[in-house]
Amino acid sequence: MSYYFTILSPTDTPLFTHDFGTSRSSGDGLAHFTPSDRALAPFILHSALDIVEEVQWGPSSTAGSAPMYLKHIDKYANCYISCWVTGANVRFLLLTRPRDEVLGGGGAGGGLGGQRGSLAGGRLGGGGGGVYRPDAPATEEAVKNFFVDVYESWVKTVMNPFYNAGNGDVVRSPVFRARVAAAAKKYL
Amino acid sequence: MSNNAPQGGGLRYPSNKKTIYDRNLNRSKNAELSRAAFAYLFIEMINLAQKHAKDVGDLEKRLNNQGYPIGQRLLDLLLTRSANPLASIRPTRILTLLQFIAQTLYRHLFGRPADALERSNEDPAQYLLFDNEPIVNTYISLPREMSNLNCAAFVAGIIEGVCDHAGFATEGVTAHSVGNQDEGGKDAKGQAMWPGKTVFLIKFKKEVLEREEILGRG
Repeated sequence: MSYYFTILSPTDTPLFTHDFGTSRSSGDGLAHFTPSDRALAPFILHSALDIVEEVQWGPSSTAGSAPMYLKHIDKYANCYISCWVTGANVRFLLLTRPRDEVLGGGGAGGGLGGQRGSLAGGRLGGGGGGVYRPDAPATEEAVKNFFVDVYESWVKTVMNPFYNAGNGDVVRSPVFRARVAAAAKKYL
Repeated sequence: MSNNAPQGGGLRYPSNKKTIYDRNLNRSKNAELSRAAFAYLFIEMINLAQKHAKDVGDLEKRLNNQGYPIGQRLLDLLLTRSANPLASIRPTRILTLLQFIAQTLYRHLFGRPADALERSNEDPAQYLLFDNEPIVNTYISLPREMSNLNCAAFVAGIIEGVCDHAGFATEGVTAHSVGNQDEGGKDAKGQAMWPGKTVFLIKFKKEVLEREEILGRG
């Protein structure tokens, strides 16, 4: 299962991108996008921004605050998109691409990984045909924990007086990238 | 300067290999700053602004600009430190946002909440936040030719930063002194009960009000 993670400023400028794969159940932590998929991923994420803007204000007539975690908001082909909005309206978008059983699993050694797929805990039924369900509570929980970790590192990045997200400064710190990768390995 | 950067690329690490990412966000949660230290810095900030400013309005604008990025950063930081961190919520309505400013932000900056919050009668887009005695003005005395200057423009900049980045774009947040007005019957003895009383006028943009109305209708 491959993931493509982007942080976008309130003016839709990408500030940070990172792609990785799942480290669970025989995943090797590397992304396995086909080149055409990999090129398409940023477009899919940007098209999901419209939905983010609609959903981020929360169900109307609530108490006046909305959660930061917007859960699963969009689906394109077989890619699922989840979102987290920070207090300053910076968006974290995560594109999840469950491995196609048909493809047989490009990287898992031994071929039997392809049948099971890599599920972040939300396993349904045995054998081939385990379907990835983005709104399973376990999956949502895993993605939420990932986002919470990245958010903490993000707040530390923003507190830098020389860093201005509004300007579209790209985050270049290798330490930040290492933190995101560590959170990904831990929860996804 | 003898450390090798562990990851190459010219990045240097301090000798205990700890980066800013290793510091806990809540570490300075209860930290306090001495008023004298702040006043010392603030006076220099005003001097810097005054050097390049042409008139009082420009000076207030420069102070406002100095406070703006602080507001941007405080918004995320205070939301992270909010009472129930797992809930992770952000304000989506104007009233919630203003209460966040009057209570949480003010308590963080000055140790006490703001004194009053009102909606202006003439202009529905305008909200008034009252502060009886802004701490930033403690050691400031104004010469006669600049008597309409209010250095709480710095705090107004902080508020503007918070509002803008929370998604509630403002036309501007300005600070006005209302200390010397007659209270009109409420306090017959002396007008100047709070001589330094300041009101922050927060004017939201039209789109914000439209959205507010749509959300309110549900």
